[in-house]
Amino acid sequence: MSKRRSLTEAQCVSLAQKLLRERLCHQKLPDRPLALDSQYKHLLELLRRTAVHGESNSVLIVGPRGSGKTMLLGCVLRELMSLKEAQKNVLLVELNGLLQTDDKIALKEITRQLHLENVVGDKVFGSFAENLAFLLEALKKGDKSSSRPVVFVLDEFDLFAHHKNQTLLYNLLDVSQSAQTPVAVLGLTCRLDVLELLEKRVKSRFSHRQIHLFSSLSFAQYVDAVRAQLSLPPDFPDPKFSDAWNHSVTKLCEEKSVEEILRRHFNSSKDFRSLHSLLFLSVSRVSVSHSTLHEADLLEASRLISADSKAIILHGLSILELCLIIAMKHLNDTYDGEPFNFQMVHNEFKKFIQRKSHSIHKFEKPVVMKAFEHLLQLELVRPVDSGVCKVQREYQLMRLMLEHGQVMEALQRYPQCPTDVKQWALSAFA
Amino acid sequence: MSRYITRLRMRRTYKWNGRPVGEDRKLKRQYYESMSISVEGKTEDATVSLGQYILIEGDDDDNPFVAQLLKLYTDDSGKKKTAVLQWFVRMCEVPQSKRKLLGRDPHPQEIFFYQDRSCDNEVDGETILGAVQVGIYVPVQDPFPVGKSRDILFVKLLWDTKSFRALDPELMQPSQSPKSPPPSSRGPQPRALPTPDPSVMKRAMSGILTRGSMSTGKMSSSEAESLHSASKLSAAKALSAKRRSQAVSGPQVRKKLDLCTPATPRTPRHATPSIPSRTAPARKPGNVLEEARARLHVSSVPESLPCREQEFQDIYNFVESKVIDGTGGCMYISGVPGTGKTATVHEVIRSLQQSAEQDEIPHFRFIEINGMKMTDPHQAYVQILQKLTDQKATPDHAAALLEKRFSAPAPKKETVVLLVDELDLLWTRKQNVMYNLFDWPTRRNARLVVLTIANTMDLPERIMINRVASRLGLTRMSFQPYTFKQLQQIITSRLNRVKAFEEDALQLVSRKVAALSGDARRCLDICRRATEICEHSGSQKNSSGLVGMSHVMEALDEMFSSSYISAIRCASVQEQLFLRAVIAEFRRLGLEEATFQQVFVQHQALCRVEGLQPANVSEGLTVCQRLGSCRLLLLEGSRLDLFLRIRLNVSQDDVLYALKAD
Repeated sequence: MSKRRSLTEAQCVSLAQKLLRERLCHQKLPDRPLALDSQYKHLLELLRRTAVHGESNSVLIVGPRGSGKTMLLGCVLRELMSLKEAQKNVLLVELNGLLQTDDKIALKEITRQLHLENVVGDKVFGSFAENLAFLLEALKKGDKSSSRPVVFVLDEFDLFAHHKNQTLLYNLLDVSQSAQTPVAVLGLTCRLDVLELLEKRVKSRFSHRQIHLFSSLSFAQYVDAVRAQLSLPPDFPDPKFSDAWNHSVTKLCEEKSVEEILRRHFNSSKDFRSLHSLLFLSVSRVSVSHSTLHEADLLEASRLISADSKAIILHGLSILELCLIIAMKHLNDTYDGEPFNFQMVHNEFKKFIQRKSHSIHKFEKPVVMKAFEHLLQLELVRPVDSGVCKVQREYQLMRLMLEHGQVMEALQRYPQCPTDVKQWALSAFA
Repeated sequence: MSRYITRLRMRRTYKWNGRPVGEDRKLKRQYYESMSISVEGKTEDATVSLGQYILIEGDDDDNPFVAQLLKLYTDDSGKKKTAVLQWFVRMCEVPQSKRKLLGRDPHPQEIFFYQDRSCDNEVDGETILGAVQVGIYVPVQDPFPVGKSRDILFVKLLWDTKSFRALDPELMQPSQSPKSPPPSSRGPQPRALPTPDPSVMKRAMSGILTRGSMSTGKMSSSEAESLHSASKLSAAKALSAKRRSQAVSGPQVRKKLDLCTPATPRTPRHATPSIPSRTAPARKPGNVLEEARARLHVSSVPESLPCREQEFQDIYNFVESKVIDGTGGCMYISGVPGTGKTATVHEVIRSLQQSAEQDEIPHFRFIEINGMKMTDPHQAYVQILQKLTDQKATPDHAAALLEKRFSAPAPKKETVVLLVDELDLLWTRKQNVMYNLFDWPTRRNARLVVLTIANTMDLPERIMINRVASRLGLTRMSFQPYTFKQLQQIITSRLNRVKAFEEDALQLVSRKVAALSGDARRCLDICRRATEICEHSGSQKNSSGLVGMSHVMEALDEMFSSSYISAIRCASVQEQLFLRAVIAEFRRLGLEEATFQQVFVQHQALCRVEGLQPANVSEGLTVCQRLGSCRLLLLEGSRLDLFLRIRLNVSQDDVLYALKAD
């Protein structure tokens, strides 16, 4: 105990940060998935039956991005593997639609992960056709009671549906519906219409079990989750530090401004992944001199996360470039969003200089052109058809990729913006 | 020097030696004693005469058929030469399942006297390749002579398609006769190889020689492999070995096993594909519900197939008549998925194999290929060839070999029943795979019955060109989707007196499924899910422990209800507002499509109405992309930024309904 007390504050802070970072970066599975109890039970029961009774199954886990599909599966598999009956019996094959982009690669990966006999080292021998025949033969030889069940996890399931003829899916699902080696086919996807992607005979072989993960959290639960995510566990080595930390977190969550930030985030998305990125940024600001979380940390993190990317770019533009953008905005207003070319923008700009401006120099045309090209590089302006065009650069049709509001906001915030430019922007007509 | 005797595509010319020795006026036949074969490019001719052992062109170039020449005659036109033969078989021609019956390893040069009345013993004389030397008959108890030249074949036993028996030396008598050649024959006729052309003989011999050495080499390597894998492999191998030995032990046992595995067993060449076996056997179902669930699993093989009696009978009659007549034919079977097409065909084959076992009909081979289980339509040839002869070849070569096999007049052929599942996947631009599959059965000597299965009824009219559709013929059958009564009967027969369901519940499931698709798989899956739901809730309220209406309703809801509405209800506030903005914009435009920029303006306005802080463009795009990834919205590529076009993937009414409810 004496040794534990001797932890310096610096050590405590870094330890706490490490713990929280692991939690927020999804490096460690939580003990129990949050608010997904019924889905957890359903999936566990299903896999347990495959592992213990040798019953083949197929199921789809559907939920929006960041809703915890992989986390749920991870937790279920962890518990499944801790069962004595399942531990040594279950073979796991994990595929990802983004990695296994066609059936050939997927087949090789399956044979490799199953350690079948045509695998030497890390290489799989044989052609595509041979591999398929080999795998099917292997699966066919097994039977319900004597061979080890195989759990196939297909992440990004919808991408597998785009493979040629859906051969892999057909075969896996066919095995799951016939008296061969017991398999469980688990698909993870965020597409709600995934069943419509399946071909009719593939669809018929799928058991139509779907586990939906829609979060129906209320705001109060959301705040509770935030508190739980930020709290240190009871087995933290320095109880004094952890008590102080947890207390500060509880107090933090009750503050009005923090609640506002959280409410804003809750409104924009309910999933935990975006919440985690918010909390991660604020936790990173904790240091020895700043050993508890403050309201300001969250505010800053929220500001960073919800900042508009284009507004930031606009801040770094020169006055000339800004003027060009205002000219384009006026063109957009006059011609109701029709595309424009450089010549039109230049004319508009010249009119402004001649009539109203007193603070802006007269720029040569090549200089203006250069500024325009810089905007093009920043992709604030885009050519209408990106294809080859024989048109001179000045006459190529362009579109402004900015919202009206974005331009105005950038002007307001622009440091030392000349008044006549501002007025020009605000005036209804050029 | 090539081992492929026939593949050299030499042109042979056949000529009678001497004058006819006899004449049958009734049949208008003229009998001859010997025939000479001249090969193009060779100066000297080979001669075959009565009583000699000869090689006949067959499907396998390496192993031509062996026979003894009994008679040679020509019809009155004098053009067609016919030979009457006594057949011999090599070990590789004996069906694989029967080879075990020999009880020892065959000698590489061993052949068997073939006794089968159903076998056609007249062949076209122009298929004779040449003579071969057959060693003296070896009595059963004696060992094979050692040290003799490797091109001599030995006869020891008789094969009558059921078993190996000791050969009566009497039957081999004619083989002695060449020793004392008939007086009318011209020229000296030594016992062995009377052909004066050494080059032909040499080729024939070398063919046999290389074949012999090759087969022994193959054998030894495969032996080594099996030893190797036996040491490496665990229980799975031992189990299958045990099963194999059981299969030999008695016909009863074998019949049962055949029921479970309709595919022909094959010996692995290289690696043995298998999934490792588990440490403890799987647990048996414990209670009624688990028992019911196991029975309702699609994979469990039912005792009978109810509701398909008529279809069963039709297919049975078709295949049976073709097998008995020894002719060929095609049949096209269509039906939506899950209506029992493949299951019925398997059932037919099972019962036909059973009656073949009891010698009611001739033996046949069953081969199954599936369009979905191959990577390319041309792999069909490879798979058929491999299942037929256990040979491996490239698609082109396999096609050539099969073509030859089905067009050559081979006398000792069993009928082959070929099941082609998912036929539409074999479509190619030139349709040559389909063409061949349907053309082979029409050959005179093919003895091939092709059963094809696909989903659409009008497939022949829709995708096949005329010459393919015409060869497929008009023997068609379509499986109608199951009606609710049939579905109910299927479940009841599967449950087989395991009382787990209430009557009403069953009726609800079958009515619902029949109304939607008539897919038996769906029906079984729903029932299985209902038992699970019952198991979880049953402990509290349902005293009977049976699956009731409420459970079935829940299962149906889970599987059939659309998830869009609940997805919208569980979406975040901004996402819901965005959907509302999309609809508002659609109404304003009068179109079902808008750009992000347009929707975003609406979105900001709605935010202000709701008293929320308006989102900026980046946040708006994030919300939009999130809805797009769920496919509540259909989006163009995000490259277009503000100008990406948005469409709804749900009907506007659904969105409004979902949003109004809360």
